[in-house]
Amino acid sequence: MAEQYAIEMLNITKRFPGIVANDNITLQLRKGEIHALLGENGAGKSTLMSVLFGLYQPEEGVIKKDGVEVQIKDPNDANALGIGMVHQHFKLVECFSVLDNIILGVEPTNHGFLQKDIARKKVLALSEKYGLKVEPDAKIEDITVGMQQRTEILKMLYRDNEILIFDEPTAVLTPQEITELMQIMKNLAAEGKSILFISHKLAEIMAVSDRCTVLRKGKCIGTVETAKTNIEELSAMMVGRNVNFHVEKKPMTPGNVVLEIDNMTVASKIHKNNAVKNVSLKVRQGEIVCIAGIDGNGQTEFVHGLAGLDPLVSGKIFLEGKDVSKASIRQKSILGMSHIPEDRHKHGLVLDYTLEDNLVLQTYFTDEFTDKLGFLKRDAIRNYAEKIIEEYDVRSGQGPITIARSMSGGNQQKAIVGREIEKAPELLIAVQPTRGLDVGAIEYIHKQLVAQRDAGKAVLLVSLELDEVLDVSDRILVMYEGEIVGEFDPKKTTQEELGLYMAGAKRMEVKA
Amino acid sequence: MRKNIWKTNGMQSLIASLICIILGLLIGLVVLLFINPKGAFGAIGTLLKNFMIYGKASLRLKYFGTTLVKTVPLLLCALSILFSYKVGLFNIGCSGQYTAGCCAALYAALKWGWGWFPCILFAIMAGAVAGAIVGVLKSYCNVNEVISGIMLNWIILYLTNTILSNVKEPTSPYTYQLSQYGKNALLPTLGLDKLFNNNANVTMAVPISILIAIVIMVVLNKTKFGYELKATGYNKNAAKYCGMKENRNIILSLVISGAIAGLGAALYYQTGIQQWECTTASVPGMGFNGIAATFLGGLNPIGTILASYFIQHITLGGAYVDKTMYCSQISDLISAIIIYLCGFVLFLKIMMNKAIDRIEEKKALKNEVSKEGSAK
Amino acid sequence: MILLIQYTLIFSSVLILVALGGCFSEHSGVINLGLEGIMVMGALGGALAMKYLPIAIPGFFYVLLVLLAAILFGVVYSSLLAVACINYKADQTIVGTALNMLGTAAATVLVKAINTAENVNNVSSEISYIEPKKKFIAYLGEFEFNWFMVITIIALVVAYVVLYKTRFGLRLMACGEHPQAADSVGINVYKMRWAGVLISGAYGGLGGICYILAGVSIWKFEYGVAGFGFLALAVMIFGQWKPHRIALSALLFGFFRALGNTYTVFEFLVNMKLPSTVYNMMPYIISLIVLALTSSHSRAPKAEGIPYDKSQR
Repeated sequence: MAEQYAIEMLNITKRFPGIVANDNITLQLRKGEIHALLGENGAGKSTLMSVLFGLYQPEEGVIKKDGVEVQIKDPNDANALGIGMVHQHFKLVECFSVLDNIILGVEPTNHGFLQKDIARKKVLALSEKYGLKVEPDAKIEDITVGMQQRTEILKMLYRDNEILIFDEPTAVLTPQEITELMQIMKNLAAEGKSILFISHKLAEIMAVSDRCTVLRKGKCIGTVETAKTNIEELSAMMVGRNVNFHVEKKPMTPGNVVLEIDNMTVASKIHKNNAVKNVSLKVRQGEIVCIAGIDGNGQTEFVHGLAGLDPLVSGKIFLEGKDVSKASIRQKSILGMSHIPEDRHKHGLVLDYTLEDNLVLQTYFTDEFTDKLGFLKRDAIRNYAEKIIEEYDVRSGQGPITIARSMSGGNQQKAIVGREIEKAPELLIAVQPTRGLDVGAIEYIHKQLVAQRDAGKAVLLVSLELDEVLDVSDRILVMYEGEIVGEFDPKKTTQEELGLYMAGAKRMEVKA
Repeated sequence: MRKNIWKTNGMQSLIASLICIILGLLIGLVVLLFINPKGAFGAIGTLLKNFMIYGKASLRLKYFGTTLVKTVPLLLCALSILFSYKVGLFNIGCSGQYTAGCCAALYAALKWGWGWFPCILFAIMAGAVAGAIVGVLKSYCNVNEVISGIMLNWIILYLTNTILSNVKEPTSPYTYQLSQYGKNALLPTLGLDKLFNNNANVTMAVPISILIAIVIMVVLNKTKFGYELKATGYNKNAAKYCGMKENRNIILSLVISGAIAGLGAALYYQTGIQQWECTTASVPGMGFNGIAATFLGGLNPIGTILASYFIQHITLGGAYVDKTMYCSQISDLISAIIIYLCGFVLFLKIMMNKAIDRIEEKKALKNEVSKEGSAK
Repeated sequence: MILLIQYTLIFSSVLILVALGGCFSEHSGVINLGLEGIMVMGALGGALAMKYLPIAIPGFFYVLLVLLAAILFGVVYSSLLAVACINYKADQTIVGTALNMLGTAAATVLVKAINTAENVNNVSSEISYIEPKKKFIAYLGEFEFNWFMVITIIALVVAYVVLYKTRFGLRLMACGEHPQAADSVGINVYKMRWAGVLISGAYGGLGGICYILAGVSIWKFEYGVAGFGFLALAVMIFGQWKPHRIALSALLFGFFRALGNTYTVFEFLVNMKLPSTVYNMMPYIISLIVLALTSSHSRAPKAEGIPYDKSQR
């Protein structure tokens, strides 16, 4: 008799207009195993999981549970089959309590009235059994990301799910929290749950999974026993070539101070405390300074305060020696500050504008593009856009007149990078510039950052990815709860050491 | 690749608007059939005929002129709404700004005897101030512009009734006739009245309103200011990120929007065609019908000219409907149905694109097949 | 003084009912700017019921039938909003505005048609309900007690319990806050939003009939409801989308509206010699001020106004 699988996805093909997202993919999950699904951004992992979860219907292929073919038409079907998922972006209602979020959709009721006491008992029992510490009555918006994730896991357990999908669960956690999560996953597997673990981080996959299926460009490359492989082999399978993960760069030759921040404090929009507290730092010509930290520790507010999107509570900012604490965004931009924003759709682009109109977003008002009467110089804009498109290899359907919305994420980001660098800035602020991009685009953007540094510009990088932090930067500052709690030389530190500071377990005095 | 003409935005907007009009009239017809089956077709015909109902060409021409005169304020209200909509704001306070303009123009004309030009300026200012209030509340206090706009509409209405009571006929609720008490404020006709069988109400207002539509189109599409406004409308976060002054743009766009509405009132009341009724108990419909014209016009200034004319045409046509069977409000009803249908325009466009894609795919398939055939 | 209290209570009742309607709709994620139109339709339904129901029906059932008619009209009318905004992802502002215009126009056309059919010379848009109105009113001494005050309190309690104590309420609010999350646990977002909008239609319809029964005994449908639907939205924002706070803020607004009807009985107000329009403007001015002071801190349901698209999850 064939081996018993908890779930099998056989020869799944899913097409979208113009692209085959999943091309004849087979994935078999054994009972009680932790099975990793590895692939780059855009390799088709999310699509495959959406198929399993009933969000998409595949054109071809079958799904079997315990050897029996099943139809999964919507998340309800998946739920009924005992499939649960922790989404990469948590699906939690922020103003609801932990308990309300766990029971949402499967509420115990009496004639339509909620019976929260019954639910609370069950949640507390589960929380005890698996070591998932939560406060049932706290609101989601008030608790840590780690507890939000535990809430998501409890949501699956509360529904007695047997097959648990974790979609990139470590992106938001500290190295220590990641270790904790791995332990939880192992406990769950030991209790007989079958786990699918989606990731593009090789070390985590090596550490926790039993087997690993690799996807590349929508195709299934193969399934391997984790114990019989190594990181190099996996990475070659994932990318299709040997990747040089290390960024080549010359030794740094720092020059004058370009940016000096003195005791900057920025208020939070979410809670009443300040999100950034008395931060002081300096960035010099020819160096890449990186702010590392877990998401939500004040990095966003720090950048918004620095760029002028949010007002400062106190403190001073000097750009090339000039006090710009009260200067407008436009003034700072003219004085030489460029900013690659964290969220390219929210801030970086006007998605309904054409590519060329987006490329002059920072410079449209200059004499180069606007005449004395206030009319735009369309020819000059076209020429300038064509130049950037060529230099930065921005690919799009119709060139300068492509609507930005229709472009791929990588090309949108290249357009933003090109726009901000072509402005010839003295200081380049790059916030998570490689988020959601494939390896090729990541390499390209890293090269551009290093090129700016080598050209004697100051670069301030804000990143959540420790690999990127260690590879690209010349100096690392760790931010924890809005404060700089450590300064490191990337050559002399490790992920583990950084992790302790990022989690607030250790701190040191840092002088700007 | 050749661009399919059916895929262009302008073409699709036009088709979508026509569908809305036809459906709106059909639904209106059904309502009429329901009320009284005998005269329904005739009544819809009357709406569409408007001044063509007169047999004599001279009378037709005269009432065509009247339709144009009444289209002017509607067009300007529609342009006012369009302008602020480009910045992402729904200026439902347009009616109030229009009323404010009317109040200013008539008061200046009747009380102070001002000339036509200062009267217009005063009306523009009044509308602009009303718009500015909405803008300030929106940008500094985060007040939804629809709700504050409605509140201001009523406040301005009551204020106008009170203020204009000072210049009203002692025996009726209407303000004095401009032709008797405020001749200076009557707009120059530029000889246009002669073209319309001596309809004295046809003045420079008609060409001015079309000029304004063109100016707005140029400002929105060709200038730095338009670029900023549209960027703010599409994505205000991005606009802020690149240093555009969001609050200033919001306020400025509502000020301009209010000014256009105020101008609309001046260009209407200063023809002397109508007086303000100081017991008016509801906000003038001009601003609301303007919404219909804006969306029916596909949010394009030139489209808006046509749509405004159409709406005004059927509204006036409503006056000729057989009163023993129907009331004149059926044209309001049809306008309202058309606005409702305009809500589906996005959906219609998506459907059109899908249909076009399907046709193109089939064509491409055919081409391939025929190629293969010829290769053999 | 009694008159002032009486008017305050009845106008507050209207505002509470309509604001609760808005509250249900917004908690499900749909901004209902068409409440004016829904009120007109509810008023029309109720008025027609009063016109055609035999006056001999006992008071309780009579009132019940009139209410049911108003609710029915409101619900059916609000489905126009639901189908456009939920299924066809139309712009909620445009559709809401269209419904407001359509409500008044349709009611006017219909009532005029009815009147003209009865008597060719009657081209008014009025319906009178002098006798039926008495069934809604009881006298406690000088105080004119209107049954709507009780109905409103019941409606308020029901709204509170449904929103905070039932499975339905929890799911409804999840759809307004984070529809993707609701969808991922198997809640049908479209269905819940339909429910939210239809409930707002029921409340809006009730508010509409209450509005025309508040003061007068003859209603002219050309007038619409004078921005009351929008005042109710202001009440809802001031009440932070919570039923109990909506009730309190409605009392405030109701008071200023009542002042317009009753200021003449207060000597000191009459002595101030303010034109009557000042009192007419009062509720609108108050609402502008209140909105200006509270809007920047208000916490609206997060996903309101954004059409939910299943294919984009």
